[in-house]
Amino acid sequence: MKSITIRPIVEGKKEGQAIVSQFPISFYGDVDPETGKILDKSNPLYGKSIANKIFVFPESRGSTVGSYVIYGLQVNGVAPLGLIVETAETIVIAGAILADIPLVDKPESNIFSEIKTGDIVQINTIKKEIVIKKRMSID
Amino acid sequence: MFLTKKQEKMLEGEMGEVISKNMKLIVKLGEINEAKKLIPIKSAQIAGVSYFTVGEAIFSFFNLFSKENVKVKVPSWLNPAGMDRKNWEKMGITERFAEKQFQIIQKYEEMGVESTLTCTPYLIGYQPNYGEHLAWSESSAVVMANSFFGARTNREGGPSALAAALTGFTAEYGFHLTEKRQPTIKVNVETNLDTLADFSALGYWYGKNFHGETPFITGLSQLSINEAKMLSSAIAASGSVALFHAKNLSPESEIISLDNIKEKIIFSESEKQSVYDCFTQKDTNFDIVVIGCPHASLTELVIIHSSLKDKVLKKNLKFWVFTSQKVSNSKKFKPIQRCLEKKGIEIFTDTCMVVSPIVRTKYKHILTNSAKASKYLSNSKQTKVTFRSLHHILRNVTE
Repeated sequence: MKSITIRPIVEGKKEGQAIVSQFPISFYGDVDPETGKILDKSNPLYGKSIANKIFVFPESRGSTVGSYVIYGLQVNGVAPLGLIVETAETIVIAGAILADIPLVDKPESNIFSEIKTGDIVQINTIKKEIVIKKRMSID
Repeated sequence: MFLTKKQEKMLEGEMGEVISKNMKLIVKLGEINEAKKLIPIKSAQIAGVSYFTVGEAIFSFFNLFSKENVKVKVPSWLNPAGMDRKNWEKMGITERFAEKQFQIIQKYEEMGVESTLTCTPYLIGYQPNYGEHLAWSESSAVVMANSFFGARTNREGGPSALAAALTGFTAEYGFHLTEKRQPTIKVNVETNLDTLADFSALGYWYGKNFHGETPFITGLSQLSINEAKMLSSAIAASGSVALFHAKNLSPESEIISLDNIKEKIIFSESEKQSVYDCFTQKDTNFDIVVIGCPHASLTELVIIHSSLKDKVLKKNLKFWVFTSQKVSNSKKFKPIQRCLEKKGIEIFTDTCMVVSPIVRTKYKHILTNSAKASKYLSNSKQTKVTFRSLHHILRNVTE
């Protein structure tokens, strides 16, 4: 178990499997609002779904319509459980607030070396931390 | 962050869930950006209208909002849609697209947003006053409001501009604060800017080299509203710039502090030419000319009209001009429109080459006088774009 201090933006306590993108995400265009699948062919996560997972990525990019896509994921029942980003900006903040998805940023250590896809991760905004509960594999 | 009692009540849900969520969005953005308080806004300009860009995602959002029948608190206007409301069939828009597009416009209208469908509210009588706080989202209009009119707005997204419209507030950070409006780069223009496209080239070149930095521009002898419009749209498209100052020409230029200038650069003939070179193709087999990014003003339409008076357009060449409905409805424009249409020039309102799906999907080689349009239209792989001044274009497209 390892805990990392974060800055809470949208409150909540959620635990689930992590899905990690090393690349910035443009929710409009890169994510299918119907299925939660990654549509960006240049992303190694192409074809995988962020539905009901803890989605970890550096930052959001692209059209501000991305906020509507995040809300659409929630309506369609395929939203991520929580969002962990390096730097939160307007697109992901607006989407997470409207869809009520816990969102945290500014992790104290490098989330991309600490968290791998498949790890069990908990977001806890009251304690201002994320906890990596179970590692996928021991490197 | 300090909130008044009224703002707290809005946040806590006394005015319903929708207002509460939108207030939360405004407050969170304020907290992240270290704002000390919220400030009332005078107007909002809302992007996220074209069905081509917002897709189905926006409808789930509208369902949330329409539950409580919320209305905007300040004058609020819409950015262009994906089609002309009257002549969508002539543009080649499908019936399904049109149906969706009308639904989107109607939903905004139900919230009290005026369906101006233009990126240039300042050309249709909605000019902001000096020092007013706004929440505008069209990137070129943001630069115009900040730079040409001396009003204050951040580069809002569609959702944050709508949240500001529904609550009447934005958080006081970024370009709302005098100290964040100071220029960091000094640009001396050492070449003549003779055409609107030259101003577009200046903006494009600067934005590409100095992302997000506010310039102090010297060496300009004039800056008309049309010139400022072209400069604003290009500087925002290539560099996400929100504000420029132009010595003796823009309203804050004489009072703003120059203490933060960290670099001085020169825009000469070769820099100007480099932008035209950037959007030059091996052939000149254009299949469409598109003018009106940002939306054409009456002045530009008069120029096109007078330059083409005794000339005939080349065969098989489309020539489309985009403007706002208010400009096209003006009495002065009607006789010009008849004359242009006789020559085969189509005037479309409510939309543009960037947010409509048609230009980028149906045409292979596009000729335009806008560096912003050139940038966005070149993103699609099957299209080639040539960027030239309107004078150059008009000389080359007639028999």
